[in-house]
Amino acid sequence: MSKARTSIVRTGAVHAALIAYTLVALFPVFLTIANSFKSRNAIFREPLAIPTPETFSLIGYETVLKQGDFLGYFQNSLVVTVVSIALVLLFGAMAAFALSEYRFRGNTLMGLYLALGIMIPIRLGTVAILQGMVAANLVNTLTALILVYTAQGLPLAVFILSEFMRTVSDDLKNAGRIDGLSEYAIFFRLVLPLVRPAMATVAVFTMIPIWNDLWFPLILAPAETTKTVTLGSQIFIGQFVTNWNAVLSALSLAIFPVLVLYVIFSRQLIRGITAGAVK
Amino acid sequence: MKSRETTMDASALKRPRRWHILVFLLPALAVYTAVMILPLIETLRQSFYNTVDGQYAFVGLSNFKVLFGDPRWAADFWNALRNNFVFFLIHMAVQNPIGIALAAMLSIPKLRFSAFYRTAIFLPTLLSFVIVGFIWKLILSPIWGVAPYLMDLVGMKWLFAPWLGRPDSALIAVSLISVWQYVGIPMMLIYAALLNIPDEVIEAAELDGVTGWSQFWKIKLPLILPAIGIVSILTFVGNFNAFDLIYTVQGALAGPDGSTDILGTLLYRTFFGFQLQLGDRSMGATIAAIMFLIILAGVSLYLFVIQRRMRRYQF
Amino acid sequence: MGSLELKSIRKAYGGHEVLKGIDLEVKDGEFVIFVGPSGCGKSTLLRTIAGLEDATSGSVQIDGEEVGHVAPAKRGIAMVFQSYALYPHLTVKDNMGLGLKQAGAPKAEIEERIAKAAGMLSLEPYLARRPAELSGGQRQRVAIGRAIVREPKLFLFDEPLSNLDAALRVNTRLEIARLHRSLKATMIYVTHDQVEAMTLADKIVVLNAGQIEQVGSPMELYNRPANLFVAGFIGSPQMNFIDGAKLGDGAAKTIGIRPEHIGLSRDGGEWKGKVIHVEHLGADTIVYLETETVGTLTVRLFGEHRYAADDVAYATPVIGSMHRFDTDGRVVNSGP
Ligand SMILES: Nc1ncnc2c1ncn2[C@@H]1O[C@H](COP(=O)(O)OP(=O)(O)O)[C@@H](O)[C@H]1O
Ligand SMILES: [Mg+2]
Repeated sequence: MSKARTSIVRTGAVHAALIAYTLVALFPVFLTIANSFKSRNAIFREPLAIPTPETFSLIGYETVLKQGDFLGYFQNSLVVTVVSIALVLLFGAMAAFALSEYRFRGNTLMGLYLALGIMIPIRLGTVAILQGMVAANLVNTLTALILVYTAQGLPLAVFILSEFMRTVSDDLKNAGRIDGLSEYAIFFRLVLPLVRPAMATVAVFTMIPIWNDLWFPLILAPAETTKTVTLGSQIFIGQFVTNWNAVLSALSLAIFPVLVLYVIFSRQLIRGITAGAVK
Repeated sequence: MKSRETTMDASALKRPRRWHILVFLLPALAVYTAVMILPLIETLRQSFYNTVDGQYAFVGLSNFKVLFGDPRWAADFWNALRNNFVFFLIHMAVQNPIGIALAAMLSIPKLRFSAFYRTAIFLPTLLSFVIVGFIWKLILSPIWGVAPYLMDLVGMKWLFAPWLGRPDSALIAVSLISVWQYVGIPMMLIYAALLNIPDEVIEAAELDGVTGWSQFWKIKLPLILPAIGIVSILTFVGNFNAFDLIYTVQGALAGPDGSTDILGTLLYRTFFGFQLQLGDRSMGATIAAIMFLIILAGVSLYLFVIQRRMRRYQF
Repeated sequence: MGSLELKSIRKAYGGHEVLKGIDLEVKDGEFVIFVGPSGCGKSTLLRTIAGLEDATSGSVQIDGEEVGHVAPAKRGIAMVFQSYALYPHLTVKDNMGLGLKQAGAPKAEIEERIAKAAGMLSLEPYLARRPAELSGGQRQRVAIGRAIVREPKLFLFDEPLSNLDAALRVNTRLEIARLHRSLKATMIYVTHDQVEAMTLADKIVVLNAGQIEQVGSPMELYNRPANLFVAGFIGSPQMNFIDGAKLGDGAAKTIGIRPEHIGLSRDGGEWKGKVIHVEHLGADTIVYLETETVGTLTVRLFGEHRYAADDVAYATPVIGSMHRFDTDGRVVNSGP
């Protein structure tokens, strides 16, 4: 009968389920990081324990930092991701503005053409992409990756940004025109600042698959100087499979940047996803 | 005099060429077309070409005939397609229901710590397949013994097996790892759709006595169906991108014994070759063309049949 | 049946107290309106009655029965929301029938009640449509129909007309008044619009900052406002407030006169002043007068008058029409 009683029971069940799943989600990550700071014996004797002064060891990290050029890989990943995001945002916003602001012949067709890439994975064109990159002498350069990731990110960016740009008030743009602003000034000075939240959403959606991609670094830029973190750790761990300290440390090193960024930006990121994704 | 004026008016009325539209569109169009669309078309074209007597030539459908007719190719292809299908089904049957359930719980108003749960459950989605693959490989490894140890705690140790190493369980294990990683995506999209339902509609349901389970089935679920449709089609397409995880966990041969081979890994091996096998550009293109057709069929089915039937509601 | 009693209802969100002890009795069949400025807690009070919010303390009784722990659906109430809150995926008919179906009513009875409600609201042609295929006014009628079908002891309305345009608002207002007469049901209605309150209510409850300022019939509130707040809130244009000292009234801090209780003449009168602005409304003429002794006055004259800005005019209050308030804003002794 009591409304309060049943709701307490129900809330309790909900919390139990959510806590259980949160443990499932976090446990593997926790396990990896915790064990990366332990000595080899401790890893196997008590895998679930957190490191203690007796079991603490940095041997894994020493191996990793001595053997692989992780700093270099990290830098490659950063360059590729940042430049790709910048290009996707700039080109994507420009195209989205053209599509949402002006009526011209072929507008709808152009929109559909650009939207095609949301559903068709760019990987299907790998055969010809590789040939093209070979012909353009871009194999084993970061430029090759940047070009591919820009093309990959554009369709979704155009789609999301044009939805948002339709909500920018026409009166505002017309006021700008009456004040003598050029179409370029209207885009850069009036519209872009207003769609900044959407740009953040797009940046997140663009970033995750780029940072984590293995396919294109493996195919287009596997050279030591152009390896990304993802490819680098994949190869490194493949070589050190039996050195558990090294493997766990390498994994932790690959997780750390993501973890730190996520802790800082999770609020914006999740807000972006929930606000921008499906209208 | 008069006629001249009218012609001037007419030319003034005619809009000047709006070059800025072209300028706005050009960079995106150029990169997208050059790096995505043209290679895609070129790949499709190459599926009709092959090297005959040392000469690169148009061969019609003979690549496809080889793929479906040659016993060795056909066995590999159908195996990969079937595995892909299983991979997809496991995602639809496990990942999406869990995602919906989590979203439904998170969207309960005034639920404490919901931001924390949301953040934590979404974390694995941000990690790369490589990290995720190796972590789970370690956890499920009988050498380390974490999984058997944990199962022992709940008295289920006898159930443990080196799942990733057995042909009959490896595909399911890999699929579940992928589910673990990506459950955050359906969760977030459904969560957003649930938040979009106005509070007053839910309150009206409370007043009508539609509460708890029946509220979810009768009110919320019909209203989030479009979001579930989007999640399904994303799952379908993502399925063909799922190369990284299998490559990391099971290698390019997608072992054991090809039991985790999907179209992505097959394409990679065919195109680039692996160990003794030489790379075959034409057959790679052929497999890519088949994948393209399958995706096209799935997406068209969604766009023209499912999405048409589905009502989108405005609140 | 259909009475309501609220006893010292308090509601706080965090540390912020939104309702500060509300006591109220509503008799069976009464049409009660909660009126007050935006954010004063009207919706919160209504939602507490509905059970959508739990009061922090105090008791809610419907028909003499404590309902504090009864689920909203079991309280015998129906509510009409400002945004209509129709189920977008259900037809008009299913929207109206869902509550009964959920309660397990027999199919024939559901059909019959829907038909009756649809008849009352002229909704028959739309029964098979979905909300998206209806106009705003039609949606509002469906929302009202959904409430009628439940045959509740208590109807709750939260600003049901504020999303409609002016003409539709008047029509729907009439419809609700007619409905109240024909159903003889108890209705509680929230609005921030005093015209709605004056035209519909048997009893008005004026709320301000989470407290009841005054309860009474529309004419009681108009003629005998208990305090400055009610005096200023009820009546349009707003009552004139004059510093008591300026009129040599030692007992009253403030003196109020309604604009319609002031006469205006060009020849002579109590307070001389200069016209600063005139609004010609046809039926009324509103004159704003800058007087020498009592400051700016608003004067409402019936019919058309030829005053213009900068004219000199004399204002004279109707005898016995003054409201006198003490330093706390409470009335000292009322007008007629
Ligand atoms: N869920 C809530 N949490 C915190 N404060 C609230 C909540 N709902 C309403 N309030 C506050 O309570 C006050 C009264 O709100 P409400 O009852 O909606 O006013 P109104 O009279 O306009 O209907 C407002 O100041 C509002 O900010
Ligand atoms: Mg309100």
